[in-house]
Amino acid sequence: MWPSDVDLDEPVSCESVAQTVGARRSLVLRLAQQGLIETVEGGADEPLVPRRVVIRLRRMQRLRRDLGVNFAGAAVILDLVARIEQLNRELGERQKR
Amino acid sequence: MATKIKDYYEILGVKRGASDDEIKKAYRQLARKFHPDLNPGDKSAEEQFKQVQQAYDVLSNAEDRKLYDEHGENWRAVKAGAGAPPPGWEGATAQGSPRGTGGFDFNDFDFGSFRTSDEGGFDIFEELFGGAGRGRGPRSDRGRDVEAQLELSLEEAHQGGRRTLQMQTGKTIDVNIPPGVRDGSTVRLAAQGGAGSNGSEAGDLYLHIRLRQHPIFQVNGDDLEVELPIAPWEAVLGAKVEAPTIDGRVEVTVPAGAKSGQRLRLRGQGLNKRKGGRGDEYVRLKIVVPTEVSAEERRLFEELKRVSQFQPRS
Repeated sequence: MWPSDVDLDEPVSCESVAQTVGARRSLVLRLAQQGLIETVEGGADEPLVPRRVVIRLRRMQRLRRDLGVNFAGAAVILDLVARIEQLNRELGERQKR
Repeated sequence: MATKIKDYYEILGVKRGASDDEIKKAYRQLARKFHPDLNPGDKSAEEQFKQVQQAYDVLSNAEDRKLYDEHGENWRAVKAGAGAPPPGWEGATAQGSPRGTGGFDFNDFDFGSFRTSDEGGFDIFEELFGGAGRGRGPRSDRGRDVEAQLELSLEEAHQGGRRTLQMQTGKTIDVNIPPGVRDGSTVRLAAQGGAGSNGSEAGDLYLHIRLRQHPIFQVNGDDLEVELPIAPWEAVLGAKVEAPTIDGRVEVTVPAGAKSGQRLRLRGQGLNKRKGGRGDEYVRLKIVVPTEVSAEERRLFEELKRVSQFQPRS
């Protein structure tokens, strides 16, 4: 049985996320400061980010690589896709009623 | 049976003599349409994108394109120096694609490898991916992270449990699903993604939870809602009736004078929460009438009509 980690709320450092995605810490920090990735309150000098940010960064990278959009654009796309998914779920629920 | 590989030019919808710019433009148009990050959970789009990606990978590389133009679908065997392609190779794909079984869909993208960034525009790609793209900055041989979707029933999400997932490699993973996961939850299995190279750690496996629609329960956060049909006399007189919950049937008191659409709250009968506690269940009453009535029932309704002072439209 492998231990599983659910919802990925655990706060981690920008450095840790940067290492995971093969990025520079400075850029993860910049994306956090620009509000393009989520941050959580932390006592440290720089913001911490929830572990799930790794997934968002991967997606942003793929959109950047495959569609040629910049990170600000990728962030907007991901937010819109999430909203569409949410609306689709709500629509499905309503249609069931 | 081997599957014939579709022509890469045909996949991208370009002529064989298309320029690099035309190929890139066609790729970008199709990528915008089929990209899995824009079509989450859409297997058809994912499959189409894989074809488009494979076609573009070959046609955007001058050397590979030349081989493809000369040798057609045998180009890869020629490149590998194998001479004549081995029998039945046509069905092979360029890279092994881990594919789950048992309702477990991998979104297998090459998370860990990046093309050289040659596109214009605001470019912080180089900074983000440092050495991976252009040989500068941090470099990691860590294995690929893999994302997949795991579909669960509402009961599984409520109660938790174990699921055994089988990788294409034959390896199986027992996943512990804790009680209280929700649609959109993500389960991370550390070091269960792609293998690392040069002794580096493996990537992680991220399972995105999707809940199947339940035949009777609607989910609203931690709460459940269910429709409960009741007879007109139960609504007027009140009644004790059985209602379904996620854990079984319970007795519910319908108050006298209940209205259709009225919701009764069953406190603590909703879904388990991740950090303890439970949501509530809402029973939505629906007054239904019999479609067929016996002579006696008809007589009683006629009598009720005669004596009732009720004015529903006043």
